[in-house]
Amino acid sequence: MAVLVPLGGSLASCATGGGSGAAAGPTGTVSDTNPFGMADKSTVDAVIFKGGYGIDYVEFAGKKLESVHAGSSAKVSPSTDISQELQPRFVGGNPPDLIDNSGAKAIGFSTILAQLEDLTSVVNAKNLEGTAIKDTLYEGVLAPGTFDGKLAALNYVLTVYAMWYSASLFADNGWTVPKTWDEALALGAKAKEKGKYLFVWGKEAATYYQEMAIASAIKEGGDDVRLSLENLKADCWSQPALQSVFGALQKAVAAGYFKPGGSGTQFTAAQAQWSNAQDALLYPSGSWIENEMKDQTKSDFKMTGVPVPTVTSGSKFPYESLHSAAGEPFVVPSQAKNAAGGKELLRIMLSKDAATNFAKTKLAPTIIKGTVPADGFGSTALVSQTKMLEAAGSHIYTWNFIDLYGMNKDMLVVWNTFLDGKSDVATLTSSLQSITDKVRNDSSIKKIEVK
Amino acid sequence: MIPLDTEAQPGSGKTVARRRRKKLTFDKVSFMVVFLGLPLAMYLIFVISPFAQAFYYSMTDWSGFTPTMNFIGLSNYQRLFSDDIFMKAVGNNILLVIVLPIVTIILSLVLATLVTVGGSSKGQIKGLRNSSFYRVVSFFPYTIPAIAIGIMWGQIYDPSNGLLNGILTSLGLDQFKSFPWLGDERTAMVATMFVIIWGFVGFYMVLFVAGIKGIPAELFEAARIDGAGRLRTAISITIPLIRGNIQTAYIYMGILALDAFVYMAALNSGGGPNNSTLVMSQQLFFTAFNKGQFGLASAMGVVLAIMTLLFSGLVFLVNQLTGGNKDVSE
Repeated sequence: MAVLVPLGGSLASCATGGGSGAAAGPTGTVSDTNPFGMADKSTVDAVIFKGGYGIDYVEFAGKKLESVHAGSSAKVSPSTDISQELQPRFVGGNPPDLIDNSGAKAIGFSTILAQLEDLTSVVNAKNLEGTAIKDTLYEGVLAPGTFDGKLAALNYVLTVYAMWYSASLFADNGWTVPKTWDEALALGAKAKEKGKYLFVWGKEAATYYQEMAIASAIKEGGDDVRLSLENLKADCWSQPALQSVFGALQKAVAAGYFKPGGSGTQFTAAQAQWSNAQDALLYPSGSWIENEMKDQTKSDFKMTGVPVPTVTSGSKFPYESLHSAAGEPFVVPSQAKNAAGGKELLRIMLSKDAATNFAKTKLAPTIIKGTVPADGFGSTALVSQTKMLEAAGSHIYTWNFIDLYGMNKDMLVVWNTFLDGKSDVATLTSSLQSITDKVRNDSSIKKIEVK
Repeated sequence: MIPLDTEAQPGSGKTVARRRRKKLTFDKVSFMVVFLGLPLAMYLIFVISPFAQAFYYSMTDWSGFTPTMNFIGLSNYQRLFSDDIFMKAVGNNILLVIVLPIVTIILSLVLATLVTVGGSSKGQIKGLRNSSFYRVVSFFPYTIPAIAIGIMWGQIYDPSNGLLNGILTSLGLDQFKSFPWLGDERTAMVATMFVIIWGFVGFYMVLFVAGIKGIPAELFEAARIDGAGRLRTAISITIPLIRGNIQTAYIYMGILALDAFVYMAALNSGGGPNNSTLVMSQQLFFTAFNKGQFGLASAMGVVLAIMTLLFSGLVFLVNQLTGGNKDVSE
């Protein structure tokens, strides 16, 4: 019977049995070279989302950490399923020291917010070159990681949301990039003459058009449009600026400027219809698009990004203003054994060497300024990103409400129906409104007020 | 697992009571520990205890990422039944559980009959010519993993470059140019069901072939001498004699239809147009890992488990009421 006793004992303890919540382990002395007091000869346990950017850029910083702090080491593990893999570790009270909480299966921020370190100390610390990190960052990059005034996540990669096109195709046909929705519709007619479409969409990415619509509406109506959405106001989708953009999109759908069948097309297949078959002229997306479609882009495509169109020429924000957000949120759990080590690894990643290495190998800028040379390492897309960022200056905005409350899945359904021509602006508006209303009226979901 | 045979052994209770208790030897105790205690403990730990835990979590507001949680009674269930998206998923599961087993079983029964007793009406009872070839070919889909089937059919259904629309448009049916089979509310569910049926017909055919092979050939010969045609033979001889197999197949296929996660996730990961292919297991997964509402997700799991039990009970009941327990072979 002795065998049965330990087994029986484990019956009583259930999945949530652990979690004593022991605070951080041993600490070292705080100094300029060790601003967070990481213990000597300690190991930093980092779990990194392995997506388009891989994990080698963190390994690069890990090597650097080992040379800066002799005896210490960094263990960098990949994961494609952050939420499922780390859920038991959060419950058990032994989460990793540094997490890249990214990908489709990332942990919803509202669930773990209270268990994360405030990373303001990292931003205030000096990088390896001796400059305070906060002085090396692009404008507004801390906003997406700030929840209720707490800098819970440091988003490492700078993403520019834009409308992408083939500069060579436009030059060959003498087309110009549309700056307003009227121009866009006119271009759609010209594309039709050539047997092409203005836009193409895939079923998992129908909400890219929602991103474009919101970005365009914020330019038209200013910050009020954004705040109304962020705070899930009762009539947020009925704002005039949004309605004008929806109206323009519906005209494009009705005129057949969207390639039909998108609601049944896998999104990368749809994107290849734009980047390889050139069935469509424009595609709204984040700057990851170049890397994502690298193998399926026509040679001499000259992928270039431009800001999304405005509704009128008298918009509140200038045409050049830009939806840009830092992505790949890195977080340090408070319960981690070596939280100081997690911050230290993050500090090294934010230093010039590691950031330049990222830009060079991934052809995407980090939140650190001045790491991309004028030739963009030979990438037209990267050059256009830098240009757009410079032109936008301080007119950079972003929003969090969709990911924060996990609404994208429900919105995809609505957008697929709309882009398919099976609903109209009124239905689109009321369906989106009912999704946000459902979250607002659900008292079990913690709301974060955006000011 | 669901007990497929609930028949009680008559009189077994009395004999146990009358038997004298013997002294426990080491042999006996060790035997009991290894062959009774250990499996029982494993069953309790790995089957019963997770069930109990899931039921407990379904009455809490656990986010999934904290060691603490609040007990909130049955309000998760209240939320579920007033949640239109979850109810839509329940409806889709019910639709699947009605359509999938019936269509799959009818198709595989027809095929099984053809390859075993559907052949020439002269001489020995046998199947169609080359029936062993058909049997192997129709089993092929079952050997492909579900996720591969999903990805493959996702490509076939592709509106612009898919095989299906390619064939249809080359036949001159131009209305199918760029038709989104999985993206149109009217066709998404039917197209998905077709894929699942395609994947399972071969397996159930083999199951029924084995059942039919177990029927003595004389019965078929006698029926034929009495002048019964193929259809009459199938309905009056084959089906009653393999009724047990059909019931088993019905329950297995029904449980698959109540889950259906892999096929749905591969063909339309987001739940399909207007959630027309969303099933409970998808919504459960999404609620737990994307929304961080493990309490609510556990409640969905409990609802799913109860529905599965109800379904099996219903199949047994219907089979009993229609005289399934009468042994026709005697």
